[in-house]
This record gives sequence, C-alpha cells and structure tokens, in this order.
Amino acid sequence: MGKIIEIKELTFSYDKEKILNSLNILIAEGTFLSIIGPNGSGKTTLLKNIARNLSPTIGKVLMDNQSLDSIPVKELAQKMAAVHQNPDISHQFRVHDIVMMGRHPYINRFKRETSKDIEIVRQAMINTHVFDLRDRFVNELSGGEKQRVMIAKALAQEPDVLLLDEPTSSLDIHHQMEILELLKLLNKNKGISVITVLHDLNMAARFSKEIMLLYKGDVLTLGRTEKVMTAENLEKAYAVEMVVDRNVYTGSIQVCPVSTFKRKGQNSKMRKRVHVICGGGSGKLLIQKLHQENYLLSIGVVNQGDSDWELAKKLSIEIIEEKPFEGISETVLMSALNKAAEADAVVLTSIPFGRGNVENLTLAEQQAVNNKPILFLDQYPKGVSVDFVGGKGLERLNALLEKGMIRVTNIEELLEKLEVC
Amino acid sequence: MKLLSVKPYFYIMIPMAAVVMIFASSTGAANISAGDAFKIIASSIPYIRELIDVSHISDSAISIILFVRLPRIILAFLVGYGLSVVGSSMQGMLKNPMADPFIIGTSSGAALGAALAIVLNLNQTFLGFGAVSGMAFLGALLSTSIVYQLARTGSRVPVTTLLLAGIATGQFFSAILSFVMVIASRDVSSIIYWTMGSFSARGWNHVLLVIIPMVLGSGLLMIHARDLNLLLIGEETAQNTGVEVEKVKIVILIVSTLMTAFAVSVSGIIGFVGLIIPHITRMVVGPDHRVLIPACGIMGGIFLVMTDTFSRTVIAPTELPVGVLTALAGAPFFIYLLRKAKKME
Repeated sequence: MGKIIEIKELTFSYDKEKILNSLNILIAEGTFLSIIGPNGSGKTTLLKNIARNLSPTIGKVLMDNQSLDSIPVKELAQKMAAVHQNPDISHQFRVHDIVMMGRHPYINRFKRETSKDIEIVRQAMINTHVFDLRDRFVNELSGGEKQRVMIAKALAQEPDVLLLDEPTSSLDIHHQMEILELLKLLNKNKGISVITVLHDLNMAARFSKEIMLLYKGDVLTLGRTEKVMTAENLEKAYAVEMVVDRNVYTGSIQVCPVSTFKRKGQNSKMRKRVHVICGGGSGKLLIQKLHQENYLLSIGVVNQGDSDWELAKKLSIEIIEEKPFEGISETVLMSALNKAAEADAVVLTSIPFGRGNVENLTLAEQQAVNNKPILFLDQYPKGVSVDFVGGKGLERLNALLEKGMIRVTNIEELLEKLEVC
Repeated sequence: MKLLSVKPYFYIMIPMAAVVMIFASSTGAANISAGDAFKIIASSIPYIRELIDVSHISDSAISIILFVRLPRIILAFLVGYGLSVVGSSMQGMLKNPMADPFIIGTSSGAALGAALAIVLNLNQTFLGFGAVSGMAFLGALLSTSIVYQLARTGSRVPVTTLLLAGIATGQFFSAILSFVMVIASRDVSSIIYWTMGSFSARGWNHVLLVIIPMVLGSGLLMIHARDLNLLLIGEETAQNTGVEVEKVKIVILIVSTLMTAFAVSVSGIIGFVGLIIPHITRMVVGPDHRVLIPACGIMGGIFLVMTDTFSRTVIAPTELPVGVLTALAGAPFFIYLLRKAKKME
C-alpha cells in the first residue's frame, strides 16, 4: 500500500524569489492526486521537493513520519519513483535495459540482476504495454511509447508512491487516455499512490480522487475533485471565466474556459447593455455569442429549468425568471420591463408563442414606445406553425415590424447592427 | 546500430591485444621476428618459461625486447587504456559527446607544470622519475581542483558550470604557458615536444608507476557503471532510482583526474584517444557502461600501442611524437564516423 506523505511548512525559493510559500499538506496513502494550477504556480517545484530532487529552503517533507533527508537514496527509491518531463535519452539503450535500470535500488553494486529482477521487469513491461518493444532502441520510439517505458522503469522499482510530472503533455488524445487509464489501474489494483502534475483540467477531474490547485506558490484548495473544481476556484487561479458542469457522456466534471478577463476589466459602464427575449433554446447561440463579445446581458422572462435559463445561469447572466411551467405573472413582467428599459437594446429571438410567454412581447413593445432599438432575430423555420395563441403573437410581431423593429436573419448581421445602435 | 554483441567483442579483442603487442615488440630497428619476440616474452612469464627455449636468440635481442620495447608497449597500452576508460566515463557523466579526459582542464595544468620544470631546469629525480613528470602530475591536479572549486555550488557540481569552468581555466593556464614560452624561448621546442606526447625512453619504472592507478581506477569506475547508465537518462531520474548523483559525480571526477594525471605524467599529452575511442567502442558494443568501460580500455590500449609502434618506425630513426599521430589518424576517422552516423539518421 501507499505511504503517507506529509509536507510541513515547506518554503522553497530560488535565490530571493519564493516559489512555494510555507505549504502544509497531508497526502493520504493510496490516493490519486492531481496537482493543477497555472504556469509558474510551482507545480513542478512542489513535485521535485516531494521527489527530493530539490531540498526545501525551509520546512520538510515526511514519508510515514520519516524526513526524506534521513532516508538513504536507495531505500527511498524502493518506496518512491518519479517520472519527469521529457526524458531525453540520446543513447541507444534498449527498452529492456531502461526498464531494468529501475531495479538499481535493489541490486548490490557488486552483484548482477537475479531471475526475480528479470521477472519483475517483464511484468512491468507487460503492465505498461511495452513488452513488444523490449528489444527496440528507446531513442527510436515515439513520445507516448517513451513515456510508457519511463513509467515501466518506475514500476520496476516497485514503488508505493509514483510521482509524475505532466505525463501526458505532448501526447495525442489516445495516448493521454492510455497513460491515465494505466495510472488509474495501478492506483486501484496495486494501491500505489499516484501524485501527478497535470495540465489538462478535464483529464485531472476525470481520473483523480483528489485535486490540489496551486496558485502563486500557495495551495488554493485541496480536496475531493468536486470541491476543488469549482468555477470560482478555477477563475481565481487561471484568470479565465470558466463554466463547470458535468460531462453528458462520462458524468465527470467538465471545465470549459469561456474567455479571459481582459475585456471584462474594462469599466462596466462602458459596456453595452442588451436584454434578450428568449426561451426554449431559441437564444442559446445568441447568448453565447453576445457573452463572448462582452455585452452586459440580461434575459427574460424565462421559466426556471428552461435550456436558455440553464445556460445563462452557468454564465452568471442576469435572469428575469418565472417558476417552471407557469405563465408570466405581473410582478415578474414589471421587473422585466424595468430591466429592458435599462438596456441599450432589446433583442427578440424566434420564440414560439404560447400562452405562457406571449406577454414577453410587451417588453419589445415598450421599447418601441420609448423609441429605443429593437432587433428581431428571425430564425423561424419556414412552414412550421409557431403561434399557439390563435395568431395574436404573429399579429403583435408584425405590428412591431411596422414600428421599426429591425429584422435580421443571422447572428453576424445582428452583431453588426448592435455595434451601431 | 550495434555491430557485435558483447561476448564476441571480448573474444576477438583480448587475443587481438596480445597479437598487436607481440607484433609491436617485433617491429623496430633491431631485426627480431615475431616468433622470437613471442618466445622472449613468454620466457619471462613464470611457469611457462620452462617450456620455452630461447637459447638460439641473442642476449641483445632479449634485452631489447624485455627492457626497451616491452615496457614501452605495456606503458602505451596502459595509457591508452586509462585515457579511453576515463573518456567514456566523462562522456557519460557529463552527458556530453565532446567530453574527454582533458575537458576539465587537466591537460593545460599538466602542460604548465611540465613547462615550468623544463624551464627551471629541475633535475631532481624521485624513485627514478624526473621532475617534469612530477610537475605535470601536480599541475594536472591543481588545474582540475581549481575547475572543481569554480564549478561547485554548495554540494552540487552542475555539468554546465563544470564544462565552462574547465574551458576558462584551461585557457588561463594556456595563457600562462604561452607567457612562459615567450620568456624562456630556448626551451620552447622541448616544451612543445612534451605537450605532443611520447613514449620514447620509458621503462619498467614508468609501467610500475601507472599500472596500479590504472587498474584500481578503472575498477572503481566500473563498479559505478550502472550509476553512469542511469545518469545518461537524466540526473533527476537517476536520483529517483537510487543513485547518489552528486557523490557519484565526485567519485568519478576524482578517479578520472588521478588516472589522467598519472597518464599525462608518463606520456605527455596524448590527445584524441580519450575522445574517439569511446565513440568507436560505443558504436560497436552499445552505451551500457558495464560493457563499454572495459571494452573502451582494450580498444584504447590496442590503438595506442599501434600508433606508438608506427610513430617510432615510420621515419626511423627519428621518432614522431605519438600525440601527433593519434590526432592525424583520429581526426579524419572521427569525421568519417560523424558523417556515417549522420547518414544513418
């Protein structure tokens, strides 16, 4: 089984520059911990401190209550193995030779490898699917194969703890999955603690039991994946607007970076306000586009649980909402009217008119009275009935068009018009 | 690309070393056949000597072989062995294909030491060794310890700073050497002659001086062969696989420095052997230091015995400094290998 790793008051600096700020971390045995964080947050430095490639400036790292410094190098190598970034092996070692090097901590300087060593190496190569490559030269292998060979070498050390620094960088999606599935299997079946630096947030979310989010040399959060991978945490660390939800197919947490905050930094008074009348998914693409273009958005009235409502919620857009499956009540309509009045422009999307939502047209009508721009994104499918209130919806729509509502048929055109109004 | 597997290499190379040495001892101004040379050598080995009849061979031939040619040949073999073994370890430790035994400033220090001894006309001898040898030895140790001190940061010796410090110190010592040569212009030719390396007029005392350091030193390097292999896949990975990286580096540095200093003190500076022999051998037996180090030693020994024999016979009775020949033979061959390696890529 894995070992407990404890990091106490760990500070690490290069010259005067502090990379890690007095970290206190307890890493449970048998865990699968991913270390994530933006560039320069100290991920690799932390990993190298745990691997003892670097010694802490202040503080220490303990393994099963024993300070790493006090463990002889060979003994430590029997408990902990590390796979570093970009192994550059320029010499013509065969795969088998490299994996056999993993037995170094077990073989006396004056002795040769035993049949037990050979068996362990064979098993390590089988587990990592490099057995067929055993007679090939390592410098002739592809990146993914090389990475697997290095993992096989680490496994030959029979470690309790396996450290990896971005094992999937520069690999294609197939090999990324292969490596991570292998690590997960080793973690599950052999109880090896896996501690890995990962760049890919979605992969980290999918495979780890725990995640550590580093930010400027501090641990921002550490814990179960769901606890760490929140939009708030990630936005703070990466300075990118994030949407976090669950993947439809795998059920694991999925992170989508929406935009960097650069434009958002501008004075919010400078941003144009747009109110979108939508519902039932009619506004989805538009909302995404306008949000990317950095408009200050509000939508409504929509029912809770509506697909447009869901999207707006994730993007933290202001919503004027009504309870599920209910018609628009007067109070809600009033607040929507106020919201629309504040906006620089109102956009009407191609909503089907039903009794529940036809009152939304009042918002557009108010705009017309106030002589403010209304844009109508006409994407109604041809020949399909969209009016379920006996033609009243279409009637009011035509009236609006007569009063100067601008009709556009695609989002690009709409964006152009919004620019000028 | 690996031309031979390990065992055939040694089966071929060890007998070849013996053949080359016997052939070399039969080559020279005095006309002695290879068969006689073999008999004379064999007759000096205990247990075998009873079986060999050397009565038909003249006493002068016997003493030429045993006291002039044989010690010289064995010395050349030992120096070639030592420089190649050190060269292969240095290339492995520094992960640098251009590394050789002199890369950390050894040669310039030794040259300066020898030059000072020549210029100051030091005639003292110690156990039969001239002051030139002694001063060369000390110079080599001095320059490498300066390089080591310059390169060291705390308890670590980073490879890049080691290489840079080696170059800087080497240049500095060479500058002093140039200065010495300008001041003492009458000694310039002997200094230059020394720096080109030679085995002329070397005897058994020189062999006795270097044999123990070479055997012990290469043994020490060989027991670190697995550590050297691991260093080739990266210092951090090596450490995580149980190699005490800094300790191993220091051991190899010290052993290499001592071996090189001993070699230089008996032969002067013989370039190129420690650079090309490891490359050639690696092409033949592969990069595993457990095999590479001894294989390099044998190949280097054979190479230097052959070049030395050539150097003393090609324009006889004048002797060519062997260092000139190793460079003359080595450089084009090296370029050939590089081009061949490039084509294979």
